[in-house]
Amino acid sequence: MLSAAVVVSYSLGGGFARAARRADLPDIIARFDDEPASLIAARIRSLPDIARYSLSYEETGVELSFGSHASGAGVAELLERPGRGQGYALLAGRELPARGADVLVERGLADAWGIHLGDQIDVGGLGPERVVGLVEAPDDVAYPLAAPRVYLSRRALGARLGPERDGRVNLAGIWLRNPRYVNEVLSAARSISYGLRNVQYATRAAVRILLDQAAGIVIDLLVALSLISLLTAGVLLAASARAEVQRRLRALGVRRAVGESRAQVALAQALEGLLVALPACTIGVVAGALATGGPVARLLMLLNEPPAGASMWPPLVGAWLAGVALPAAGAAWPAWRAAREPAISLLRGGELGRARHPRSSLRRAVALAAAPPRRLSRPAAPARGGLATLGVRLVAARRARLLATVLMLGLSTGFVLLMLALASELSALQTDPGALGRRYQLAAALPPGMAPRVRQIPGVRVATPRYDVHAADSFALGVSVEVIAYPGNHLTFEAPPLVSGRRLRGVDQAEVGAGLARALGLSPGARLALALPAGRELRLGVSGVVSSLLDDGRVAYVPAAALLRADPQAPSQLAAVLAPGADQAAVAHALARLGGASAGAASALVGAATEPNGRGAPLVRVLRTVLVAIAAVDGLVCLYALIQACALTVFERRRALAVLRACGASWTGLARVLMGAALALVLPAAALGVPLERYVFGPALSRLAESYAVLPLAASWPPVAVVLAGLALAAAITVVWVALSTARAPVVEGLAER
Amino acid sequence: MLSCRAVKDAVLQARDLVKTVGSGRAARRLLDGVGLSVTAGEVVAILGRSGSGKSTLLHLLGGLDRPDAGSITVAGEPLTGRRGGALARIRLRHIGFVFQQFQLLEELSGLENVLLAAQLPGAPAGGVRRAAELIDALGLSAVAAHLPHELSGGEQQRFAIARALVNDPELVLADEPTGSLDAENGAAVLEILRGLRDRAVVIVTHAPEAAAIADRVLRLVRGQLHEHENISLGDVD
Repeated sequence: MLSAAVVVSYSLGGGFARAARRADLPDIIARFDDEPASLIAARIRSLPDIARYSLSYEETGVELSFGSHASGAGVAELLERPGRGQGYALLAGRELPARGADVLVERGLADAWGIHLGDQIDVGGLGPERVVGLVEAPDDVAYPLAAPRVYLSRRALGARLGPERDGRVNLAGIWLRNPRYVNEVLSAARSISYGLRNVQYATRAAVRILLDQAAGIVIDLLVALSLISLLTAGVLLAASARAEVQRRLRALGVRRAVGESRAQVALAQALEGLLVALPACTIGVVAGALATGGPVARLLMLLNEPPAGASMWPPLVGAWLAGVALPAAGAAWPAWRAAREPAISLLRGGELGRARHPRSSLRRAVALAAAPPRRLSRPAAPARGGLATLGVRLVAARRARLLATVLMLGLSTGFVLLMLALASELSALQTDPGALGRRYQLAAALPPGMAPRVRQIPGVRVATPRYDVHAADSFALGVSVEVIAYPGNHLTFEAPPLVSGRRLRGVDQAEVGAGLARALGLSPGARLALALPAGRELRLGVSGVVSSLLDDGRVAYVPAAALLRADPQAPSQLAAVLAPGADQAAVAHALARLGGASAGAASALVGAATEPNGRGAPLVRVLRTVLVAIAAVDGLVCLYALIQACALTVFERRRALAVLRACGASWTGLARVLMGAALALVLPAAALGVPLERYVFGPALSRLAESYAVLPLAASWPPVAVVLAGLALAAAITVVWVALSTARAPVVEGLAER
Repeated sequence: MLSCRAVKDAVLQARDLVKTVGSGRAARRLLDGVGLSVTAGEVVAILGRSGSGKSTLLHLLGGLDRPDAGSITVAGEPLTGRRGGALARIRLRHIGFVFQQFQLLEELSGLENVLLAAQLPGAPAGGVRRAAELIDALGLSAVAAHLPHELSGGEQQRFAIARALVNDPELVLADEPTGSLDAENGAAVLEILRGLRDRAVVIVTHAPEAAAIADRVLRLVRGQLHEHENISLGDVD
């Protein structure tokens, strides 16, 4: 578990830094509508502190096909000067040459479509292009989370096809001499971006924050889980070592009597522990790394980040050392404590650590001496629960261990419930746009004036323009904000749940996403100042904070009137809410026909509102697999802890159980005792774990994820029932396993124990 | 009167028992053709020096260990060749053990220790009533609710005897029952064992006092049982 946590944490935690370093990611990435390269170059050169820059043209909606795979939503980036410093890292092959029909393919696309170096791929009607290299660009996630992406040499393309779009660019990468001044440079960039349309800036820091947030939840959970597992393993190992030392007390006494020092005795025990720990820990570390290595590598590829490679070795070796040192220290410590006693005491046997008799204390002794003898006033009644009660008492005799094991099982129960709830909610996210707060089913790239005609399409309940503008915060220009506006009540079309405050009521108010609120420290009543691409500023009061998946919660819902006052040319689509039972495909077809009538909208996007989710399906699948795998591993850890705790109790009390067997207890009698012991561990754990998930873990993770989606993560009763059944099964397995193994041991060995 | 039941003769029969411990050059034949028959109401004391195999013989007779050769029958039920579950059932219904160290479970009161054997799955009915009677008869009512560490050695051993008798067994096997007691308590315990007249009782012991209450005294010498009169003094403790 520890090595699994190390692999996931280290791989995901440092993934972006590795990717950014390898790709030499620009400090600022600017996107804008097509402009002459000379104009953009001049503007950039006028900025302060510029180390270098790159220009390229990004063509979207490009037809890409390879074998049986095809996509009409591809992205082709035409590079002015292919080579290092373009914001991507070459993973295999070579750079684009100045001439020839060659192409670089993003690794995620190559992996998904099975493209290899030397293959030929059709790019936007250019004909077959030879794949000469595989790349990754950490400023975006990979295909299929994002659009399929290829890179071409603009010079080579120009040489083949003539100067089409020559000199026009829509993407710039800027490297600063001192990245600390990125805000100042952004401010200057905005001041000189007059005349440019749809300018969007992204900084390296902003990209890292987004990716770190996504990985952070998984990493935090895994680290917490592995620490709990480590703690439990430590408690159980220490208890096991203590029992072993107790058994060998006389042997220790002999060694002390013949002159061995206390340190030598402890060292010998440590070496014994080491002999067991070395192979066990090596196998554990390798197994953990292998189990998580595959899914994590896949996740990294989807995030366009490189694997940790050899840099993973130091933390893994650290985990291995911790795993080896813990049992060795756990074995040495009881021996060290025991060896401080005089040799003669050890030779006589006795109790390690002077374990207390149950209910014994000075007060108890005094009360006992003073009290009259207790007599049986009537025929003896059987102790309630009988053998099971004995099991409870045997386990309860070691209170610290009982507490640690119950705590571990309870926390694990909570974690397993959380994983199952999360996996279930992720499935819902894939198919339920309502989870994103989105209520319209279709959006069409049609002008606002077409709204009445769209409303007349059979199956359309209501349609209205949806304005969507990428702005920046006026005071933190690196923070981009997606500004969404509807002419009327936006709740009909998008109703992200309200986290705090109230819905917007006036033309000067806005609802902000939780991600934006957290990034800018906004709360209801605060002022939001947005720098719009058109150059105007929009200032609104924050009426409430909403939970939205869009743009990681960096979103603001504003009244259309306010947005259009600041930017009358704000781009829009028509959003349509369908009537119940309407044929979505038929409505989409009708929308496409409407769009076909107007020039420029021929490729009119008619997309299901759930499309972003559909594109995220592979990530959701990988995450769900990781979560279920974590739940399964945690379940196995629970089973191990339960078996180990019961086996340890049996080991420590083997003489008592041998007496029971001498009295005639078969394995079923032992099973009853162990059932009591297992229930003493499992029932409090269930009582702890279920409320912990429902009232602590679930709501906490829901708050963490509120900028992504509405995730009601308090487990419902079906998963609770599944987990409780799992605990019962674990208890049953433990009881049968330990009872059978105990019954196989000779009775006389137990009786011979002191 | 501790209990009444109809019993048959020859509750315990052992024939040609062989048991070797250790292996290779360290192998040692502890029992070499031991035969023993004990009838109901008979108290047999087995004496022998330390390491002579007395406890091993007792374990074999109680089905706690298996002989290398020979046969054992308790209350008409053969022990040899039986599986662990069957041996446990025979111990439960027909055999009671008394140990030198009492072997009471420290988490349970004296009464609960006695009831423990009666609550095992398959135990004969009436265990609760018998437990109350035994505790009363052995003079333990005043301390029935006390934990073992709150009891004297004699009280602990009397609870151990009550536990051995709670399922009304035909055979009682006692391993050094007075070994951890002073002379006074030891004598009281022997008196109780002597009083189990309708059962077969086998006592292995160092103590010559134990021999005094026995109907028959045997000595285990060089792996074989001999009548008391047939051995020289140098062969015993």
